[in-house]
Amino acid sequence: MKELIKHARELLENGEVAAVIGYRQVSAKRTKPVIITDPEETSALVFNEYCLNNLAVYLTKARIKLLCKKNDKVLKLAITAKPCDVHSIVALIQENQIDRDTIHIISFNCHGVAKDFGFDFNGDNLASKCITCETHKPLYYDALFGEVKETPQASDTALARIKEIESMPHNERFEFFKSEFDKCIKCYACRAVCPLCYCQRCITDKTIPCWIETSSHQRGNFAWNVIRAFHLSGRCTGCGECDRACPADIPLSLINRKMSMEAKNLFSFVSGRSLETPTLVGSYNEKDNNELFM
Amino acid sequence: MTQRSIQMDEKIISRVDLLNICQDVIEKGNTLLTPGVADYSVVKDVSNLNLDASALPSKISYKSYVFPRTEPVLYYKRSKNDVQLIDVNIDSKKIVILGAKPCDANSLNIMKHLFNWDYSDEFFNMRAKNFIVIGLMCSHFDEYCFCTSVGSSPVSEKGSDIFLIPLDENNYAMKIITDKGKEFITPYSGYLKSGDENRSKRITENVKQPDVAFDSSEVYKWLGENFESPKWEGVGNLCLSCAQCAFVCPVCHCFDITDEDYSYTEGRRMKNWDGCQFGNFTLHASGHNPRDIQSKRYRQRVNHKFRYYVNKFGEILCTGCGRCSRGCPVSVDIKEIVSNCKNDQKELR
Ligand code: SF4
Ligand code: SF4
Ligand code: SF4
Ligand code: SF4
Ligand code: SF4
Repeated sequence: MKELIKHARELLENGEVAAVIGYRQVSAKRTKPVIITDPEETSALVFNEYCLNNLAVYLTKARIKLLCKKNDKVLKLAITAKPCDVHSIVALIQENQIDRDTIHIISFNCHGVAKDFGFDFNGDNLASKCITCETHKPLYYDALFGEVKETPQASDTALARIKEIESMPHNERFEFFKSEFDKCIKCYACRAVCPLCYCQRCITDKTIPCWIETSSHQRGNFAWNVIRAFHLSGRCTGCGECDRACPADIPLSLINRKMSMEAKNLFSFVSGRSLETPTLVGSYNEKDNNELFM
Repeated sequence: MTQRSIQMDEKIISRVDLLNICQDVIEKGNTLLTPGVADYSVVKDVSNLNLDASALPSKISYKSYVFPRTEPVLYYKRSKNDVQLIDVNIDSKKIVILGAKPCDANSLNIMKHLFNWDYSDEFFNMRAKNFIVIGLMCSHFDEYCFCTSVGSSPVSEKGSDIFLIPLDENNYAMKIITDKGKEFITPYSGYLKSGDENRSKRITENVKQPDVAFDSSEVYKWLGENFESPKWEGVGNLCLSCAQCAFVCPVCHCFDITDEDYSYTEGRRMKNWDGCQFGNFTLHASGHNPRDIQSKRYRQRVNHKFRYYVNKFGEILCTGCGRCSRGCPVSVDIKEIVSNCKNDQKELR
């Protein structure tokens, strides 16, 4: 932690960055995002198994970009990011939402995070994404901290659940999604926490004409959850934030993960892993599977 | 709608008999709700009913059963020269809530002011009339609870028609608070034994209560004097503009009216939940939005709860349940914000 604080402090004191987006501890098993512009405040920064938020969501916010404008200069923004959060940053760079040159990535050797605040950190309470994580060391960074530690063992129950849903007959699967989407209250917290839901005007907010009914009835909820699944297909990096944010406990990550599996199987593409590979939806390859054309 | 409080001896009911009453409620075709982890849900089978005073408040309150997240308020048919309006039949089923937390139980009493202010909302009123709240003392609190700072407490009977206090594993003290509660319980008098007020008092007096975190009248004053305070920027930077906080809240009540056409000639007018943190909340047709940035929207949330509602209806629009904070994806904590407003911190966040 000392090194993290020292580094962040120097960045601010030397005027290299306008702000540091990081985590501060609020109780034993909970942290929350903090946006620091005053070097004195860097002492609050932490990194541990309760740093659940994917702070990349802040990178596209106009008000955060505004913080970086100092006189005529545009300063960099420092962000503390878990290796998986770096995937979101990469995806944002690849989608031309941010410039690599304007972001200073402070990352960590990561051995996992808890599934939610308040839970002890162990194999039973490991976040689902950490069970299959292949990047305990970040793929891209400007500063790296933290010791390498063993990730607790846990079984991939989410994958088992996906297989189970895949094997359901059509009508049963439909009933499953119907009962899950029925719970949706359309709070849009899933959209709000998603780093890749950065549209200035979401299609659900367009009312002339109204494509997605704003009503939270069955049709409206289906339309919303399905459109979000499609808009994130081949883009979602699997951070699991939508799942964590959903007050109705809808297992959104099952849907997103299934769509990511499809992208991988059909196009050998995994979102947010490389600054060299173009995005899936933004590129065309003659060898792409033609069966998908309707 | 106002419920007269009545004085009645305290009763004792066993867990088994309470479940018998619940079973009867269901068999008569009424809806029985109990709190779960995510939401209050409809009980179909009473045998696995778990009435736990030490449970956390569910993530979502039960307001949707009185003020649904979406509902038609009228249907319309268009013909060449005419529009025909068709009324909606409001479901008048009785709804019994078993085990409402004290911080939920008073929610309808707080919201009813709004729904009967310049217009009497028959949808809300009809459902509220058919609602029976059986409250349950609460023996759990966490870092987000602050009922004691907004005039309530874990043993508050406010808003309950009947109030339960767990005496031991198998028995509850039952207080009948309102006429509605009395009317509900009378057919089941056979299940009730006479109680001992001193016994339940000993329990309620020893319940651990959250410390009072702030003085709401000071918050009221600070809000009046600090509308333009730069302190709002901190939380404005953090908040992600969803409506988790408003939609899980037992007393937030903003709604939006929208028309849904089925065809060129038919459709319906819907009343849908709206949330003041959305970027398009109060967005005018001209494109102007008086609350154009997030800090102004969060300021609206706090002012509405701790100042405007107090001015208009004499009550705080918050029961201190802490749901909004517990569930906030970026851990914005309304208790922390309100408690710190007068401190000399640079920012509220
Ligand atoms: S997915 Fe990997 S990088 Fe992300 S929190 Fe889990 S272990 Fe760390
Ligand atoms: S869809 Fe969910 S899991 Fe995927 S990037 Fe967005 S918040 Fe993360
Ligand atoms: S967070 Fe959950 S309840 Fe809210 S809109 Fe998304 S799916 Fe629906
Ligand atoms: S305070 Fe939290 S829950 Fe409320 S709108 Fe902001 S991010 Fe969403
Ligand atoms: S504002 Fe928050 S704490 Fe207050 S009643 Fe609503 S959800 Fe509960």
